[in-house]
Amino acid sequence: MTSKRTSLLIPAVLSGVFLSGMAFAQQATPQYGGQLVYAQSGEKFTLFMGRNTDQSAQDVWLNACETLVDMNEKNEITPLLARSWTVSADRKKVTFKLQEGVKFHDGTPFNAEAAAFVFNEAKEKKFLYISLLEGFEKATADSEYEMSFHLEAPFAALLPTLGYRPLCIFSPTAYKTKGEAGLATQIVGTGPFVHTKYVKGEYTLFERNKEYWQKGKPYLDSIKIIIVPDASTRTAMLERGEIDRTVQLGDLELARLERNKSINVRTVPSTRQFYVVLNHRIAPMNDPKFRIALNHAIDKAGIVESVFAGRGAALMKAPTMTDGVVAFTDMRQPGEDTIFPYNVAKAKALLKEAGYEVRDSDGFLKDSKGQRLRLKLWTPRGATKGDYQVAQLVQTFLTQLGIGVDLTVMESAAFSSAMNQGPEDAKYDMALLSWGIPTADPDQPMMYFTHTRAWKPVGANRMFFSDAEIDRIADLAHVEIDEAKRKEYVRQWMARLLVTAPVIYLPTLNLGLAGRTYLKGDQILAVDNYPAHFAWFDKAEMERQGVRR
Amino acid sequence: MLGMIVGRLGFMVLAGLLLISFLFALFHIIPGDPAVLLAGDNAPKVVVDAIRKAYGFDRPLHVQYFTYMGNVLTGDFGVSNYNRQPVLGIVITRVLNTAQLASLAMLFAVFVSLAFGSLSAMFWGNPLDKVVTVASLVGICLPVFVTGIAMIYFFGVYLEWLPIAGMATWSNYILPVVTLGAYQAAIFTRMVRSCMIDALGKDFIVTARAKGVPEIQIVFKHAMRNALLPIVTLFGLGFGHTLGGSVVIESIFNWPGLGRLMVESVQTRDLPIIQASIFFFAIIFITLNMIVDVLYTWIDPRISYD
Repeated sequence: MTSKRTSLLIPAVLSGVFLSGMAFAQQATPQYGGQLVYAQSGEKFTLFMGRNTDQSAQDVWLNACETLVDMNEKNEITPLLARSWTVSADRKKVTFKLQEGVKFHDGTPFNAEAAAFVFNEAKEKKFLYISLLEGFEKATADSEYEMSFHLEAPFAALLPTLGYRPLCIFSPTAYKTKGEAGLATQIVGTGPFVHTKYVKGEYTLFERNKEYWQKGKPYLDSIKIIIVPDASTRTAMLERGEIDRTVQLGDLELARLERNKSINVRTVPSTRQFYVVLNHRIAPMNDPKFRIALNHAIDKAGIVESVFAGRGAALMKAPTMTDGVVAFTDMRQPGEDTIFPYNVAKAKALLKEAGYEVRDSDGFLKDSKGQRLRLKLWTPRGATKGDYQVAQLVQTFLTQLGIGVDLTVMESAAFSSAMNQGPEDAKYDMALLSWGIPTADPDQPMMYFTHTRAWKPVGANRMFFSDAEIDRIADLAHVEIDEAKRKEYVRQWMARLLVTAPVIYLPTLNLGLAGRTYLKGDQILAVDNYPAHFAWFDKAEMERQGVRR
Repeated sequence: MLGMIVGRLGFMVLAGLLLISFLFALFHIIPGDPAVLLAGDNAPKVVVDAIRKAYGFDRPLHVQYFTYMGNVLTGDFGVSNYNRQPVLGIVITRVLNTAQLASLAMLFAVFVSLAFGSLSAMFWGNPLDKVVTVASLVGICLPVFVTGIAMIYFFGVYLEWLPIAGMATWSNYILPVVTLGAYQAAIFTRMVRSCMIDALGKDFIVTARAKGVPEIQIVFKHAMRNALLPIVTLFGLGFGHTLGGSVVIESIFNWPGLGRLMVESVQTRDLPIIQASIFFFAIIFITLNMIVDVLYTWIDPRISYD
């Protein structure tokens, strides 16, 4: 057995240092009591983790339901319900030692049997996240507090994936008695808060778990997560003190809130990057030269400035990957502020090499037969902040090169359906999308975004891109558990993407969190999570600001 | 009269059921698959298929339709596609919330418009009339999302007099009711004013004045009753618009009403909720029309449905 040492982290868990959030908050002594009111922009689908991967739901679950491991702000895997773990010599078995004496909110014990049940049921019933647990064979309860994961092949991304919130361990007893339908409105886990009320589309209420296994925690009496769809209303509520924190605010609103001394605004780069899918089954998008030309034709800095007020998004340091992802390497050339810097001359030269140039006075790009180049660009509006505006600018930049671009705006659900087609049925030439990495692990984009095996509808390769080298590197990284070697594979994969340019790479989104300054110890994570389950109120400051709760 | 009411009630149920059928067809024609939405954009096919099976989206359409319609006839509107709660409970609560908001806003609009419209007509051409006319024009031109946000910032954030969002206490009602009501009041005031000007010019008013009837009585009793017929029609239509307009107000003031529920459900393609919401919207509209028709016979006894 090769052992993955985690003992160094355990004292940190017991003292609660790694979970207590921002550095400035760690210095003060937490105070008990109060109700935290957190406003989200919307609620989608169901509270049952097996059938929902919506980001906003994850902030709801994490109060009541815990994963085996957690990922902190530095992308380090830290123990949670699993105290430590060991990996077998053939790397196909990972054994977890679980926390002892932990109880689910329904009073039943948390043990190896319960944890194994959740994962085996996920495989049996094909829970949404099961596709992330590539090669997962089964989980077994070896003893009361020891559970093993059996894999068909080594899987490097196992631990980051186990930290992904939907994989939290819910009570098997509650699941068996209430079923999926019952758990669609009730979270029964081991978390610091007990889920006590749910009103669809309005709010979810949590109350302090008096028997929580991490002694002395949590600090708040209750957490109320309310749904406020309108960003201006959320801003006004925060300014007034009707809520303590909120997310998904407009970039201009965040800039205004920053001037308010009672409000603390934090932003971090997310793991979500915009891109334009290019359908490689349609010429000339099967030509890498043409695709690289399109990449150089877009003024990324202009997009960041005009659509995101210079702060809601940032230039790309690497293709698909962002700072918040494990094994990240900055792939920019020295002296460049982004990959594929804006360079119209270079774009034109590459287009000429690809057989396209402006041949007469009409200014349109034409091939050697005089055929004009016209492409369809599809976009949703409001599925991701700024998507439609980014698509408009992409259209403008490509039109400036002489490419005819027909922009079609689609309603989100219709767009989603249109983008979920296999190679024969896909009707788009180009489409604006964004790619987020919820597990913060590069395995997902490597295996599901660019791999030949991941062509829609099997995976999410909507470009129908195929490159043997990209596939080879991804397969190697997938099973490599040596961190340094894996990082090198990821770097090679990104380097190859810069040569093949399967998509048009566009800016990375920043995440924003605004909260009252009396709220301490809450977090903002690159994976679009905003944990506040171990947050606390500075009562004196709260009183001074005239907020009572 | 009784025959008319019974007939209308029958029509109401029939129209509701036809609407539900129409929506069922519509939502299977337009793009947007609930299983794909739930699975997320990057989900593999095997997962999407598992959802279809688990949630019953894979059953043949005619089976889904007839099962659903059969249940509706017994008063069972099914469960939400995603969180599996009974739709009826969710929708009824929202209907009541929206009805409260719309009714109070209408009440506000009716009182304000009758008072200012009549005053404006009484003082036709005077500065008071001009102020009312300009104010109502401004009210019509300003969209509710602008007045709503302005009210929130002035009364909620700046003065801190009133709460901004939700419906927890009576004070939560003031901003949304006034915002929604003010827009309708602006429209009604113009109508009341012109109808009253018209009525005040009639011969019987001259007669009443000649008899020495006090001016207040002439305006609010004799003229108003005659001016009321087109106004009541407009009130009926206005109530419908108020219900529709409440979608925006419900979002701005975070009012848990039917409009917001419908928008959210369309986005997630939660068909059972959309169907029940539309059904109740239709019933409310038809009921309102019926009330307006009945009111006609009270205002003008010459109108009869027999």
